[in-house]
Amino acid sequence: MYIIKNSLVSIIRNKGRNILIGVIILVIACASTVTLAIRNTANNLVKDYEQSHDIIASISFDRHSLTENFKGGADNQKGNIEAFNNIEYFNLEDVKNYGNSDYLKGYYYMYATSLNSDSLTKATDSYEYEVEDTQTSTTTSSTTTGGSSGMGKGGPGGERHTITNNNTTTVITKSKEVFQSSRNMTGDFEIDGYSSYDAMTNFVGGTYKVVEGEMISDFGNLECVINSELATLNELSVGDTITLKNPNTEVTYDFIVKGIYEDSSNSDDSSKMYSSSANRLITGSGVVEKLVEDDSTLVTNITPSFIIKDEESVNKFTDEVKSKGLNEYYTVNTNLEELQNATKSIENVKTFATTFLIITLIISAIVLFVINMINIRERKYEIGVFRTIGISKFKLTMQFILELLVVAVIMLCIGAVCGTYLSKPVGNMLLQNEIQSSESQEEEISNNFGKRDMKMDYSGTAQIQTIDTIDAVVDFTVIAELLGIGVLLTLISSLASMISIQRFSPLTILKERS
Amino acid sequence: MGILKLENVGYRYKDAPKDVYVFKNINYEFEQGKMYAIKGKSGSGKTTLLSLITGLEKCTEGKVLYDGKDLKKRNLDKYRNTDIGIIFQSYNLLPSLTSVENIILSMDVSKVRIKNKKKKAIELMESVGLSKEHIKRKILKLSGGEQQRIAIARSLSYNPKIIIADEPTGNLDKDTENDILNIFEKLAKEENKCIIVVTHSQNVCSRADVVYELKNNKDEK
Repeated sequence: MYIIKNSLVSIIRNKGRNILIGVIILVIACASTVTLAIRNTANNLVKDYEQSHDIIASISFDRHSLTENFKGGADNQKGNIEAFNNIEYFNLEDVKNYGNSDYLKGYYYMYATSLNSDSLTKATDSYEYEVEDTQTSTTTSSTTTGGSSGMGKGGPGGERHTITNNNTTTVITKSKEVFQSSRNMTGDFEIDGYSSYDAMTNFVGGTYKVVEGEMISDFGNLECVINSELATLNELSVGDTITLKNPNTEVTYDFIVKGIYEDSSNSDDSSKMYSSSANRLITGSGVVEKLVEDDSTLVTNITPSFIIKDEESVNKFTDEVKSKGLNEYYTVNTNLEELQNATKSIENVKTFATTFLIITLIISAIVLFVINMINIRERKYEIGVFRTIGISKFKLTMQFILELLVVAVIMLCIGAVCGTYLSKPVGNMLLQNEIQSSESQEEEISNNFGKRDMKMDYSGTAQIQTIDTIDAVVDFTVIAELLGIGVLLTLISSLASMISIQRFSPLTILKERS
Repeated sequence: MGILKLENVGYRYKDAPKDVYVFKNINYEFEQGKMYAIKGKSGSGKTTLLSLITGLEKCTEGKVLYDGKDLKKRNLDKYRNTDIGIIFQSYNLLPSLTSVENIILSMDVSKVRIKNKKKKAIELMESVGLSKEHIKRKILKLSGGEQQRIAIARSLSYNPKIIIADEPTGNLDKDTENDILNIFEKLAKEENKCIIVVTHSQNVCSRADVVYELKNNKDEK
């Protein structure tokens, strides 16, 4: 107990010495608070960002590989299309297989097909109709007349040529067979079946918005949400039933309209009468699975999204998917680079804060050690007297440490308060400098592309919001870390007194004094 | 049987040649209720002997026995803050503390159970001839004699059986020296203390009950 009393008395009686030490500790405390607050807040921001922005992997078609295997010339077009059709496409079972991975937090997908309808009018800005063209001529020379006899879907269905030579008329009819990709959706209406609400990225991102009714709640029922343009064109409202039919089998399906959505994605495109999603119906993936069960020849398209656990799992998942049989024409892409770019500036600020903190602590420890060593030499006589009257080396060491610790704690508290006010503006200043530096680098790269007046999205960061403010907060973690630093610095700088007290002989000290 | 006994005590500095001793074969015995003087010329080892008795140094030969137990087997910090009071020629008081705080500090260190330590400290100061006006004075504002009285009061604060003083009157005038010696005599006779005074003053020796002389590395009674 008397150790504490002695320490406090010594602090009060030796104001000059303790004020000097206190000022040094105050500077250290301020700098440490600011850097710790910035570092911790930056850390939390990055963590929160990473938590709220999952690493999403998608499977995309590698057109580069495909075109490398294409053959040039019009004669080879059929062969190229056949080669394309022969590429083994991944199906729902494959996606489920890929999704069953230890490297994933989860997965979702959009399973799409298309259907026709007799009762619905497709929203389109083209109108198709048949034209009859009849021509008669009598000549001695050979003439050729041509005319269309109707247009098939997607192009001319056939041509008729009539050749008259003298009094003999020869009719040659040439019919054209249209050879097209088997992957093309054949129905008029695209049925997008989502496996979960997460998969509805257009709704999550705000591109689509339900303006009437609500989103489907059962992902296996014949329910749908339709585009407002389609609803207006067909005078449909929530609760109505629409009948769609399989383009192959003519089997019909009755869908209940649960909601109507608006698409704001093409609002600035005045060249089209309807938005690209006008004929798109939103439903559950279970519905599309059911349609495919009824008719396996129905053309489908699946867009999976895999939520990857962490950065380290990205390559492992990619390797796993390939080992599970993903065709060489497909690649696994992630948004990892975009996420990293979004937090790059704040990560740089964090690194700077950490480096600054380490340097500050090292310099502080050295300065305090030296001051304490000088201090102990001055207090040699005091040590001699204390030892003579029977204070043990341990208790004396404790007293000296306690003295420094009390000064340190008081100054750390004052430093923490000062640091609280300083950390926010300093943090934002550092971040803004970092962002400006990053932007000027981007500008320089844009200049290299000859695009001086426009910002180029060469890194694909446009979709992801970057962190541009840091509200550095001095919280309990910072206070605890600051106290830890205080104790550590006190112990390191007290090493001088610890060693001196162990070494000093009280008799020698007192003799020197005498 | 004496409270303190020196048996064949010898001391040699660590860096000194093998056979060169400051002193050796010292056999002294000290009893309570008596005042002892240890005299000798400069360099005879008086202060070294004092440091062995107080446990500030360890003897290289022989034993120092307190209450029959070898000091080497004792906790020397406890020995110094409980069993023996030390008074130095240069007083060795803490200048950052007041007179009374110096005395209370010794009480705190010895963990002596006194309800009102300040009151006890003032009583001790008065018993060594200091008035109340000295209580709050800083040490450096006191005269040599006053400081020595504070040092005596400090050594008495935890009621030790032995009080050992190294040249306690060396820096004092004749009258003050007599005052201090009167206090020592009183402590020996009335309070049954064992007073050991290391000195080269003839006046001190004449007032002591027993005088030991350190001479030519040999002790003489």
